Amino acid sequence: MSDIVTASDGRDIMPGAFAPENREYNMFIGPNHPGIEGNFALKLTVEGDTIIKAKTEAGFLHRGFEKLMEERLFIQNIAIVARICVPDPDPNEENYARAIETIANIEVPRRAQFIRVLVLELSRIASHLFTFGGHAGTIGLYTMPNWSISDRDRVLDLFEELTGGRVYHIYNMPGGVRRDLPDGFKDRVRDVMNFIEDRLVEYDDLFFNNKIMLQRAIGIGILPRDKALAWGATGPDLRAAGFAHDVRRDDPYEVYSELEFEVPTATDSDAYSRTMVRRREIEQSIGIVRQVLDRMPEGPVWNKQPNPLKWRVPAGDAYVRTESSKGEYAYYMVSDGGVRPYRVHVRGASVTHGVHILENMLVGARIEDASQIMFTLDACPPEVDR
Amino acid sequence: MADTELTQRGAWNKVIANLKKRSLWMLHYCTGCGAVELPPTMTSRFDMERFGIMPMVTPRQADILLITGYLSVKTLKRVILIYEQMVAPKYVVGFGSCTINGGMYWNSYSTIKSLDQYLPVELFLAGCMPRPEAIVTGFNALIDRIDRGEANSWEDYYKNYDFYHKNQLHAFGEIETHHDIKSDGRYFGIAEAQR
Amino acid sequence: MSGQSKTMDTDRPAAALGAARSAADLVVAIAADANVAGFSVKGPRRVEGRVDAASLHSFASALRTRVGFEHLSAISCVDWLADGQFELVYHFWSYRDNCLVSAHVRIARDSASMETITDLWQPASFFERDIHEMFGVTFQGNTDLEKYILTDWAGPPPMRKDFVSRDFAHDHFEFKDYEPSWDDLVTGGYHGSRGVAEGSNE
Repeated sequence: MSDIVTASDGRDIMPGAFAPENREYNMFIGPNHPGIEGNFALKLTVEGDTIIKAKTEAGFLHRGFEKLMEERLFIQNIAIVARICVPDPDPNEENYARAIETIANIEVPRRAQFIRVLVLELSRIASHLFTFGGHAGTIGLYTMPNWSISDRDRVLDLFEELTGGRVYHIYNMPGGVRRDLPDGFKDRVRDVMNFIEDRLVEYDDLFFNNKIMLQRAIGIGILPRDKALAWGATGPDLRAAGFAHDVRRDDPYEVYSELEFEVPTATDSDAYSRTMVRRREIEQSIGIVRQVLDRMPEGPVWNKQPNPLKWRVPAGDAYVRTESSKGEYAYYMVSDGGVRPYRVHVRGASVTHGVHILENMLVGARIEDASQIMFTLDACPPEVDR
Repeated sequence: MADTELTQRGAWNKVIANLKKRSLWMLHYCTGCGAVELPPTMTSRFDMERFGIMPMVTPRQADILLITGYLSVKTLKRVILIYEQMVAPKYVVGFGSCTINGGMYWNSYSTIKSLDQYLPVELFLAGCMPRPEAIVTGFNALIDRIDRGEANSWEDYYKNYDFYHKNQLHAFGEIETHHDIKSDGRYFGIAEAQR
Repeated sequence: MSGQSKTMDTDRPAAALGAARSAADLVVAIAADANVAGFSVKGPRRVEGRVDAASLHSFASALRTRVGFEHLSAISCVDWLADGQFELVYHFWSYRDNCLVSAHVRIARDSASMETITDLWQPASFFERDIHEMFGVTFQGNTDLEKYILTDWAGPPPMRKDFVSRDFAHDHFEFKDYEPSWDDLVTGGYHGSRGVAEGSNE
């Protein structure tokens, strides 16, 4: 190392080059960067190519959602609440509806619960396909986003047929879902599920068994299990560390307690394991969707509450948790008996993943892996900022 | 007749417009929640690249600044820095209803309500969010405007810098952008608006 | 494979391992091991109760080490303007028992301050920092209370009930006029949008 700056006669031709105060420099992976998932900034201190210190900066996407929700009627919030988590919006709607149902003791028809599970699982599949595209982009394999994001579009077509919107659905209402499945919808869902299952085999060939991907992702961004538990990791990040906790299984909601599915885990807890856990979760989600389609009972889909504009939820509070594609997603809603929510606190899954865990995992990593670590942790900035 | 079209300047401008409109590079900056419809537009299903529109990572080489949705005041500061770094001619496309009049965050304390008070906007795409087909239609409209020679809103920044600067100061205070807009305007030969 | 790794580990507190307890058992365990009575079962897998502000830290510590709650799910803050109090709600989740315990703490609204629990749970630092910048509650012992999301914000803590977001938005931002003078825009007026794409509605 010092051969470069030592002349043949022993002189130091770059005095001070290796002085401690000259070794470290600041590098900002600022909000305008393709290697950042969303609008988020990383302030790094690097020495050579190795990151020594990392600090995240959020707030670029702050809209003050919790305040907006307090100033709108209960029915008006349903239209905006999906935008809190941009890639995976349905857990927001479902949490909001279920919080109101828990406080006001509203019963949801069985068919509506099955439809909610269908929508949540389709949203999970779409979100994981989106994450694969992002992860592949960070290692330079741009074919994968072209494949997975256009395959995700088929799921969005299903959403458009069912709810009217591609990404944000405004479909879950307190008391059920807004409308029933269209005719022939179940067959189209089955077709898309079969298609995605076949595509997973092709993805293995392109991405998951790709030699360059294996070299770049195995051993990168290791999150030890005790740290994962201590730092509050949830979702695929925790499951890839070997700890099997899934809100669908351990704190079941809707009809998850009646469905059979496995909770995939891995032990290595590196970037590759996290991506593989998400890939196996897609398989499990396809299985859940098929069970839902087979077992869905007939019946009403909406326990309609009268007078939505003058609608009061009785005083009380509720903490509802969901397993979103990113991890544990929870809403704490407080109502004081009025027409507007008194307080809605949104606990996004990325408040731990994208802040403290990311800052710690970047220490010791190389600059070229910073992006990959962020994408495989699936840190979603809109959830952090609200 | 039409001797203006047959002049050298006129013909050269038409050639330039033809080349410009077929090679627009869009800055890859997801400023808001509308950005989730950009990957479907860029990838193989809707394929924006067949029009010559590609994402570009640095503002110095980008032509289109796509403001996808709302802008919080914190992001607006960065967007102004980025906008001034982009090289003329440049086109700002306001994407979604939030850029038009605040959208669904109209009562938020931290988002701006009207994008064209801070930057000259070439085109607005309505929708929450606009579908990929709408994005493609919008970009085609932009391409037509460039072809007709009407896409000159970037000059407005130099003509009316006082107006934009005043609004920017009011929103987020003073920042150092390292660009002297007034002297750049004189270099381009754009006279300031007399008001 | 999916259930096994939960129980064979040495990096978790001893009280977090073992057979699952029911919500009613947990109420008893909290009264016994954490010295706070008055918790009650609220619903399936939900237990809640009130804790004094002064004894919250020792309660949280006992909850973690003696009762076995490992996961801090969230810390929420509710502004009860009429009562002049903030209510901090701590939500703890137990991986062993699959149950949530919500501890409600009331503190005074003026010069609101609370002891930190980041020494027990690291994830608390995000929530405490968030509550600090949104509500103005100081957490004693937490050294990292710098602004995170609202770094350019100079106004009052925005989540307080006496801050009305709509009025602020109307005062500080200008909306477009709904009756713009179209002649001005058509003939090239100097500010306002320059063109709207056709057929671009969602």
